[in-house]
Amino acid sequence: MTAGARNALLGAMGIALFLALWETIGQLKLAGISWPPLSAVLEMLTDEGRRPLFQRALVATLQETAQGYLWGTTAGLALAALAHLVPPLRRGSDRLAAVLNSVPSIALGPIFLVLLSRDSTPAAVSSIHVFFIVFVSMGSGLQRATPAHRDLFAVLGADRLKRFWRLELPAALPALASGLRLAWPAALIGAIIGEWFGASRGIGILIINAMQNFQIVLLWCAVLLAVGASLVFYGLLTLLERAAYARFG
Amino acid sequence: MEAAASKRPLLLRLVEDYWGILLLLLAWQLWVVLNRFNPIVMPTPVAVLGDLVDHPMVYVRNVGITLAVAAFGLIAGMAVGTGLAVAAWFSPVASGLLNPLTVLFSSVPVVALIPVIARLLGYDTSTVLAIVVIITFFPSFVFASSGLRSPPPGSEDLFRVLGASRLSVLWRLALPAAMPNLAIAFKLAAAHAILAAMVAEFLMGTSGLGYLFAKTKSDFQTEQAFGASVVATVISATAFLLAGLVEKRVRARYA
Repeated sequence: MTAGARNALLGAMGIALFLALWETIGQLKLAGISWPPLSAVLEMLTDEGRRPLFQRALVATLQETAQGYLWGTTAGLALAALAHLVPPLRRGSDRLAAVLNSVPSIALGPIFLVLLSRDSTPAAVSSIHVFFIVFVSMGSGLQRATPAHRDLFAVLGADRLKRFWRLELPAALPALASGLRLAWPAALIGAIIGEWFGASRGIGILIINAMQNFQIVLLWCAVLLAVGASLVFYGLLTLLERAAYARFG
Repeated sequence: MEAAASKRPLLLRLVEDYWGILLLLLAWQLWVVLNRFNPIVMPTPVAVLGDLVDHPMVYVRNVGITLAVAAFGLIAGMAVGTGLAVAAWFSPVASGLLNPLTVLFSSVPVVALIPVIARLLGYDTSTVLAIVVIITFFPSFVFASSGLRSPPPGSEDLFRVLGASRLSVLWRLALPAAMPNLAIAFKLAAAHAILAAMVAEFLMGTSGLGYLFAKTKSDFQTEQAFGASVVATVISATAFLLAGLVEKRVRARYA
C-alpha cells in the first residue's frame, strides 16, 4: 500500500472513530442529557417537517457571510494595495488593521446596528473579520516578488504601477488564496455573532433560541449546520488555493 | 531604519504610525456629534474615555478575570496542542488518525460550540476556559506538527549516524526546530484568546469583560459597555504586539 493510500485510510478511520465515539457517548448518556447521540441529531436534521426552518436559517446566514466576505475582501485588498504603493502609509495601515482586528466582535454588533441596519449587521461584522486576514495575507504576498524580478522590470523601464500589475500582484496570488481560505470560517463566525444583535433569521438565531429554550438536539443541529456551511466552502477554497500555488507559486 | 525614524519629529512619527486609528476616532466623534445621537444609543469616544477615568475599578476587576482565564487557557491549549503534535510525531498511525480530524476541526466555527459546551460544563468560567483552550489548541497543533517535521536539512541523518534515541532526537532536534513555529502559533492565539474569552463571557459568563459589556449594555450604561470594548481592544492589540516581540526573540534564538 502506498503512503498516500495508507494515510487516507487512517484519516477515514480517525473520523469514523470520532463519529462512533460521539454516538456511543450519546447512547450511553455518559455526558448526561446534553450530549445526544449523532443518530438523533441527524434524524432531526433530515426531518421533513423541519426542513423549511433549517433551510431558511442556512440560506440567510450564507447570504450574510458571502456579503461580508465580499466587502471584507474588497477592503482588505484595497488597503493592502494602497499601503504597498504608497510606502509612507504602510506603518499606519498595519496598526489600523491590527486594532480593527482587536475590537471584540460583540462590540462591533451594536456599532453596526446604529451605523447600518439590523439586517446588514451580520455581514458588516463578518467583513471586519475577513478584512484583517485578507489584508495581512495580501500584504505579505505583495512582498514575495524576488529582487531579481524587480531589477528586471526596472531595467526594462516598467513604472511602479506596471510592476504592480504584472509582477507583484501575480506573485501575491498564492498567499492571497491561503488568506481567502482561512477567511471563510472567520466570516461565518462574524455573521453568526452579528445575528445575535437583532437579525430576523439565521443559524446564529437558531443557536441562541435553542440554547435559551433548552432544545438540546435542535442546538446540535444548528451547530452541525454551521460546521457544514464552514466545511463545504473551506474545502472549495482549499482547491482554489492549490490551483493558485500550482499556477503562480 | 529605526535610528532614522527616531530622528524625525515626534508629531510626524505619530501621524505616520497612527493616522488610521486617529482618523477612525475622529470619524466616530464627528458621526455621533453630527447625528446628535442620544448617549444611550451611541456615546462619543470622549465620553467613553471619561467613564474609563471615572470608574477605573470596575474595569480593573473584570480585566483581571478575563486576562487570567485567557492566559490560563492559552497555556493549557498550547500544551495540549504541542503534546498531541509530539504524539503524532512519534507514531505515524496517530498522525494519520489525527491529521484529517484537525483539518476538519480547524474550520469549525468555534463560537457555535459555546452553547453546546456550556450545556456540558455549566454556565460558568469553566466553559469560558474550555473555549479558550479549543481556540488555542488548533494553531498550536498545526504549527507544532509542521515545525517538528522540518529540522534543518541533514541534521536528522547526523543524529541517526550518531545513534541518537528517538527521545533525544525529539528533545535536541525536533522540539528546538519547532520553536519558531510554536511562537507563530502563540502570536496568532494570544489576541484571539482574549476575544474568544469575551464572546464566551458575553453569552453565559458571570464575570469578566464580556459579562461587563452584556450587563452594562442591557442596563443602558452604553458608555461603560463601550469602555469595556475599548479596554478589550487595547488589551488584545497589546497582546498581539507583545506576542509578536516574543516571536521575534524566539526566531532569533532558534532559527
